[in-house]
Amino acid sequence: MTDLSVSVSSNAHLASQQPLPEAPAKVTVRNLNFYYGEHHALKNINLTLGANRVTAFIGPSGCGKSTLLRIFNRMYDLYPGQRVTGQLMLDQTNILDPKLDLNLLRARVGMVFQKPTPFPMTIYENIAFGIRLYEKISKSEMDDRVEKALRGGALWNEVKDKLNASGLSLSGGQQQRLCIARTVAVRPEVILFDEPCSALDPISTAKVEELIQELSENYTIAIVTHNMQQAARVSDKTAFMYLGELIEFDDTSKIFTSPSDRRTQDYITGRFG
Amino acid sequence: MAVESNVIDAAGPYDRAKALSAFKLGDLTFYWITRLSAISVLLILGGIIISLIVGAFPAMKEYGISFLWTQRWAPSADPPVLGALGPMYGTLVTSFIAMLIAIPVGLGIAIFLTELCPQWLRRPIGMAVELLAGIPSIIYGMWGFFVLGPFLANTFQPFMIKIFDGVPVLGAIFAGPPSYLSLFNAALILAIMVLPFITSISVDVFKTVPPVLKEAAYGVGCTTWEVVRSVVIPYTRVGIIGGVMLALGRALGETMAVTFIIGNSFRISSSIFAPGTTISAAIASEFAESDGLHQSGLILLGLLLFVLTFFVLAAARLMLLRLEKKAGK
Repeated sequence: MTDLSVSVSSNAHLASQQPLPEAPAKVTVRNLNFYYGEHHALKNINLTLGANRVTAFIGPSGCGKSTLLRIFNRMYDLYPGQRVTGQLMLDQTNILDPKLDLNLLRARVGMVFQKPTPFPMTIYENIAFGIRLYEKISKSEMDDRVEKALRGGALWNEVKDKLNASGLSLSGGQQQRLCIARTVAVRPEVILFDEPCSALDPISTAKVEELIQELSENYTIAIVTHNMQQAARVSDKTAFMYLGELIEFDDTSKIFTSPSDRRTQDYITGRFG
Repeated sequence: MAVESNVIDAAGPYDRAKALSAFKLGDLTFYWITRLSAISVLLILGGIIISLIVGAFPAMKEYGISFLWTQRWAPSADPPVLGALGPMYGTLVTSFIAMLIAIPVGLGIAIFLTELCPQWLRRPIGMAVELLAGIPSIIYGMWGFFVLGPFLANTFQPFMIKIFDGVPVLGAIFAGPPSYLSLFNAALILAIMVLPFITSISVDVFKTVPPVLKEAAYGVGCTTWEVVRSVVIPYTRVGIIGGVMLALGRALGETMAVTFIIGNSFRISSSIFAPGTTISAAIASEFAESDGLHQSGLILLGLLLFVLTFFVLAAARLMLLRLEKKAGK
């Protein structure tokens, strides 16, 4: 919000090849290790997510990118036998603190999943539901918030006449934008996208990508993707992961034009993965 | 060579047609066997209804529609005076109280088992619930008669009677004296008996909720309770209602355990701690020594239970339809 050049640069920098100005750190990862039972899934990860930047995570299946994303909002906590060591800070908050209020954390760190996940309720309720968890507001205020969120999800014009229809009646692409709108409605600081377009057709994908670009004006964004063009199109920074390790983390323009690690180059040119 | 291949060519189509016709015969047989099996259900159902109506006809002619609201049941009077109001009231009240207890407890167990229970406790509790369904109803009857009845009469009933003494409406529902044999005891036993139906069906349908949907709900910051209330239960609503209806059907028709502990009184009392009877309990306890009009009256009771169950299930269907419409599916 405060730094306009950031939002403009999102698209422009790749073409102009100019290095991005460093953004202040929003999420800081230090020496992070993650274990599924005995399996050592993430090995000594160090990186920072810049505020109001889009950071893409690429790498072959099973390299740990989704796992890393699921640590940012402690989603792994739902399942027994998974544990993490190291340090993970959201501004001044220690995300890994066992005493942390997970509901509040997840209000600050929203997540959009691979498959659209509308709740079994109306379109309006899908948005209002999340807001009601944190705020008590009047009906008219709620109407405003729902409209704003749906506009934020680039969905308002398509659904404004059927807000009381079931969220499940929308098409796949619309459902995914509904889920993005739902995430935005809670006013998080960070939004995690876990392969948000892998179940969508190209037109819906383009819409979601455009949306991610717009959202980065106000939010810090992390996106996991298998689509390298997508990473190149939407992100400011790119992290390449392989076998649980962070191989390379740099400006997207640099990763896709002159990567410094041999494995990164092999992956982005399609020689393995 | 050429001749041989001609023979094979000639034989080919012939064999193929024969083989196909053999298949056709098998198919036809299969079709008729499955069709007859399906039709036999209709025949059995129709046969039961017809024989019930035939058996109940003398009583229907004698008492007419007033059978439904006559409370007096005096089979040894001359001529016998019979009315179904007492058993119908007992059937509906015991089933209602049973569902009132069993639905929240059954859903609670299911939610605990699927969402909250630590892994090591899951199997023992799950198995205990399934075993509950396997206990023969006569055992429930004996336990209710010898253990639960005296216990309730000495502790719970006096307590409730004392608390609600003098309160309007509630005072009449929880009125004394405490009794080993009562509508409430029967309802409690029924609740325990139908609990496994509700729990095991709910557990099964809760497991069909996609994990990612639950994660999404946790992802916007829901607590477990909010996830269950707003996502899991709405998503599985139809299945849960199905389980509840199955349980209700069982509660309406359950005979043995209820006959043991309900007290077999045809008089209607406002108190749920008073003895009563249900349709099936009345039939079970009197059918052996009945004849003539008395027997016909009991068969008419059976027909009433049949109709009652039918209407309950039909109402459930209707409710499901309306719910689905409301959810916009």
